[in-house]
Amino acid sequence: MADPATFEEDVAPLLPQLYSAARRLTRNPADSEDLLQETLLRAYRGYRTFKAGTNLRAWLYRILTNTFINRYRQQSRQPAEVELGELEDLYLYRRLGQESGASRSAEEEALERFVDEDVKAAVESLPEVFRIPVLLADVEDFSYKEIARIMEVPIGTVMSRLHRGRKALEKALWEINERRGTVDSSS
Amino acid sequence: MKHNCEKARSLAHRYIDGEMAWYSRVRLEWHLHRCPACGEGIVFERRLKQRVHDGCREEMPIVVYERLRAALRECARGDDPAR
Repeated sequence: MADPATFEEDVAPLLPQLYSAARRLTRNPADSEDLLQETLLRAYRGYRTFKAGTNLRAWLYRILTNTFINRYRQQSRQPAEVELGELEDLYLYRRLGQESGASRSAEEEALERFVDEDVKAAVESLPEVFRIPVLLADVEDFSYKEIARIMEVPIGTVMSRLHRGRKALEKALWEINERRGTVDSSS
Repeated sequence: MKHNCEKARSLAHRYIDGEMAWYSRVRLEWHLHRCPACGEGIVFERRLKQRVHDGCREEMPIVVYERLRAALRECARGDDPAR
C-alpha cells in the first residue's frame, strides 16, 4: 500500500513524460493540462490501492488513458474500430523504395526528411484505438504486457492494434511525404 | 520450416519490440542472415520507431509544471478541490 504523504514526491518526476503523452492524446495544450490535473486527482484518491514498489509509471498511464477515454470519447465520437483496409507490412519502406529506385540508403534519407512536426501530426491523425498503443509502445517504451494492463485488454489485442496502428502511422507519414513532394515540385 | 519473406515481415514489429520467444527470434534471424531485403526492411522499421520516439516528445512549459506541482501539493494537503 502506498503512502499518500509521499504522493507528491513520487509522482512529480513523472510529470514531464505524462505531459508529453497527454499532448499527443488530446492534441492541444489546454486539454492536456486539464487531463493531467484530472489524472493527478484520481491518482491521489486511489493512491492507497496502489501497491508500493510495483510499477508506478504504468499505473499512472493507466489512469491517464482511462481518464482520457472517459472524458474525450463522447466528444470525438470515433468508432471503436476503424476500417483501415489491408495495408501491407513495411508499408512506408516499400513506398519510399519505389519512389527512389534502387539507391540503397534512399529510404533512410527520406526518413531523415521528416521533422518532429510531421511525426507528431502523423501520430495525432491516428484514431485513438491505435494512437494509444502506438504511443505507449513507441514513445513511452512500455512492454506488450504493460500495455495490456494499462489498456485493460488481452495481449493479443495489443499486438494486433499496435501492428495495424503502426501501418496506419506509416501511411500517414507517406501521405505527408507525398504532399511535400507536390508542393516542392510546384514551387 | 522455411521462413519466407512474408512471414518475416509480418513479425518485424514484434522483433524490434523484443517481444518474441527465443526460438521464433532465432528462426527469424536465420532468415534475415540469408535475405538482405528483409534485413534492411527491419532496420528501417527500427529507425522509424526511434524517429517516432524522438519526434513525439513535448517540452513541458515551466508554468504548466508549476501549476501541476501546486495541484499535487493541494492533493497532499487534502485540499481536494472536488470536495
